[in-house]
Formats: sequence, C-alpha cells, structure tokens
Amino acid sequence: MNLLKTNKIITLIGITIIFMACDKIFEFSPYEANVKEENKNTTAKNLQLIKDIQLNSDIFSFAVVTDNHYHYDNLKTVIDDINKKDDILFVIFGGDIADQALLKEYEIFYNTMKKLDKPYLTVIGNHDYNSNGENIYKQMFGDYNYSFEFNHNKFILFDDVVWESNKNPDFDWLSTQLSDNALFKQVFVIAHIPPFTDQFDSSMEETYKTLMSDNNVQLSIHGHVHGYSFVNVYNDSVNYLTVPWLKKPTYCIINVHNKFFDIELIEL
Amino acid sequence: MKIRIISTLFIALFFFSSAFAQDSTLIKDKDWYIPDYAKVQFAGNIGFFSLGIGYQFFNNHLYSELLYGYVPVSISKAEQIHTITIKNTFPVFTKKFNTIALSPITGFTASFETGNNSFLILPDKYPQDYYSTNAFHFTFFIGAKVHKNFTNQKIIKGVDFYFELGTVDTYLWYSIISKEVKINKIFSSAIGINLYF
Repeated sequence: MNLLKTNKIITLIGITIIFMACDKIFEFSPYEANVKEENKNTTAKNLQLIKDIQLNSDIFSFAVVTDNHYHYDNLKTVIDDINKKDDILFVIFGGDIADQALLKEYEIFYNTMKKLDKPYLTVIGNHDYNSNGENIYKQMFGDYNYSFEFNHNKFILFDDVVWESNKNPDFDWLSTQLSDNALFKQVFVIAHIPPFTDQFDSSMEETYKTLMSDNNVQLSIHGHVHGYSFVNVYNDSVNYLTVPWLKKPTYCIINVHNKFFDIELIEL
Repeated sequence: MKIRIISTLFIALFFFSSAFAQDSTLIKDKDWYIPDYAKVQFAGNIGFFSLGIGYQFFNNHLYSELLYGYVPVSISKAEQIHTITIKNTFPVFTKKFNTIALSPITGFTASFETGNNSFLILPDKYPQDYYSTNAFHFTFFIGAKVHKNFTNQKIIKGVDFYFELGTVDTYLWYSIISKEVKINKIFSSAIGINLYF
C-alpha cells in the first residue's frame, strides 16, 4: 500500500508539472475558434502604435512580408532582420497567415510576430478563410477592409479573396477609400490576390485596374503567387508588386520618398 | 492529404477485420460484436465530450474504440463540431496492486469531422486539387490508466480512469519542422472513463 501511495504522489506531481507546462490544458477540436482575450483586436492595437510614431522626415520605409502558411522559422528569420533595420517603421503582412486556418496556426503566427519590435498590420489571404479562419481572423485581427494614414501617405488594406470568402470584393468600399487620394502624397493598396490571377474574373480585374489608375495609386501590393514581380501590368500609372512567400526567408522593403518610392527585395 | 484518407480507411478496415479475426483466439462469453466496454472522454481534440464503445484485442494489448465527439457552439465559438473517431490505446505494461491495475498507455486516434467546419469533397467553385480535404485529423497521445474490477457486480464488471497528453498530426508536423513551434504549445490533456460490461 505504501508503494501505491508513493506512486500516486509521483503521478500527481507528474500531472501537475505537465499541466503547468502545457499552453492550454484542454483542447477540444482543431476547428475551435475561441481566440484568447489577449490575442484579440491586434489591428486596432497596432494602428494606435503606428499613430504614435514620431517622424520628422518625408522619408521612411516599411516592410512587406507575406504567405507564411507554416514556414514559422523563416518568418522568425525575417522578423530578426527587420528588427535590425531602424529605418523600417512598420510591417505589412500580405495574407496567408495560416495554411488550414486552424486556431493553432493563427496562434503560432501571433506568438512568432510578438518577437517583432515594430507595429504590424495584416490583410486576410485565401488560406486564412478555410475552416473557421474567417471568424478567427475577425477576432484576432479585426476588420477585413481598413485604411490608415501615415506621414501624408494613405495605406488601404483590402480583402480581395473571392472563392473562399463566398463574396465579391467590396469595390464600393475601395472606391470610397480612394476618393480622397488628392489629399495624400502617395496611395498604397495592399490586397492578398493580384487582380491578374486565378480568383479574379475579367470584370473584377477591369474594376480593380480602373480604380487604381483613376485614383492616383502608385503601388498595388500583393502576395498569393509566391514569387517576386514588380511590373506595370496594364501600361498605366500603376505598378504591381508581388512579394515572395516565406518558403525561403524573403521579404520586400518599400522606401517611401516625398513623391516616389523604391523597392528592395531582401533574400536572407 | 490523400494519404490521410487512405490511411484512415486502412485503419478502419484493419480494426473491422481484426474484430472478426480475433473472435476465435479470444475466449469470450459473448458474440464478437457486443462491445467490451463503454467510454466517456473529456477533451483530447476529438470533442468537448466523446461517447462510444470499445473492444479489447490481442489479449488486452489493444483497446479499440468507435467514438462520437461533440463541441457545442458555446465552447467552439464557431459552428457545432461533430466528430467520428476511431481510437486505439496500447497499454505499455500493467502493474497490479491488490484490486487495481496501473498501466502507462500510448495510442492514436483517427477523426472525421462531419462537415460543419470542413469539407470531404472539394466544392465546385475551386479548380481541381486547389485544396485537399480538411475533414480528417490524427491525434497521438501518451498517458496512464488505472483499472479496477468489480467482482460482485452483475452489470458493470470493471472501470478504467485514464489521463492523456496528446497532440494533432498537423501540430506535431509543424513542431518537427520548426524550432519556433515549441512542444509545450502543441500538447494538451484529456481524461476519461471506460465502463466494462
């Protein structure tokens, strides 16, 4: 009986240690969407951080990182590199935060991004809509469409996922956001899917392209295609950038000058 | 992902066929299809609660179960989650103390989500092979169970209490390929009871 008591005590201590080490004691399904309270409203928190940045120059840089899926180590490598570069003031993540859009994937992304010393914003990608991803994204980050101003430049973050979201992109919202473009030095639009790829039909492509060229947009930034390209696709005033995915530790820096910008492709 | 479907089917087939095969070698006073025990489990990535029936095979070296798991909206914060699971538990060894028996256990589950949160066949709106099915998941676990026999009871002849630490295939894979995914972030617990009759 003594042996049994000792065993019981050892078992209890063991269970207690394991309980304390586990991130979550109980998990009920990979499809759960119960986002932790402290992980919610990330977009609003980071918009405030960007608002608080004091800058006495026309010139600044921001980084664009995209298409993580499950390449968490490369994401970390990119974060470490961005942390070392003081002129990068904030980061925009171009979608495909997750692969199957499981809560666990969102949480690992969130915890990895905590290591970034700078504010970051996200757009939703097509993979992020899978399973309960749409719901998880809303809780963890916030609105699918939003915009902000920084140093007399406008940034518009636009959800243009078609198939997975079961809706057409909200071009009316985008049009309204672009209508005050004359007030800004430059306008940047960030959306996961480039208009010239799979999910856009020809009428959507035409709508997107016309909205960009009619509203003084200098640069339309995308992910989704997993490779780098920087092209004036439609022979108009708009340049289209696709940022490579994180299968390799790569990202882009956009250096914003007074009335123009330049792009650096970083391959680590 | 196709491998996942095939292996799930294979495992299901294996345990159906082993149910037949074992009939002759196990001395039982009941027909092969009568379950040996009923099970209730809390958590473990196969449901908030799971209920089901189980069979003992290979002279009690394998405990194989068919379970239905449910997660209500209030817990999932999304749609209801219905899961059908085949669970297999292997006692590593058994140590007897008077009327009880202790066993370290290990095992795996294969789960199918019935469609509220996943798809089995890719919807028509996607090009072929754009996504593979996300309705199947495996879990892997280790743990311990305590067994007690009730010698004088007519209906319930014995009981198991068990505790497990487990993870999901996707999580384990990410943890293997990424230093960023720490092992303590992917394991969680489950507890449960088996009632023998």
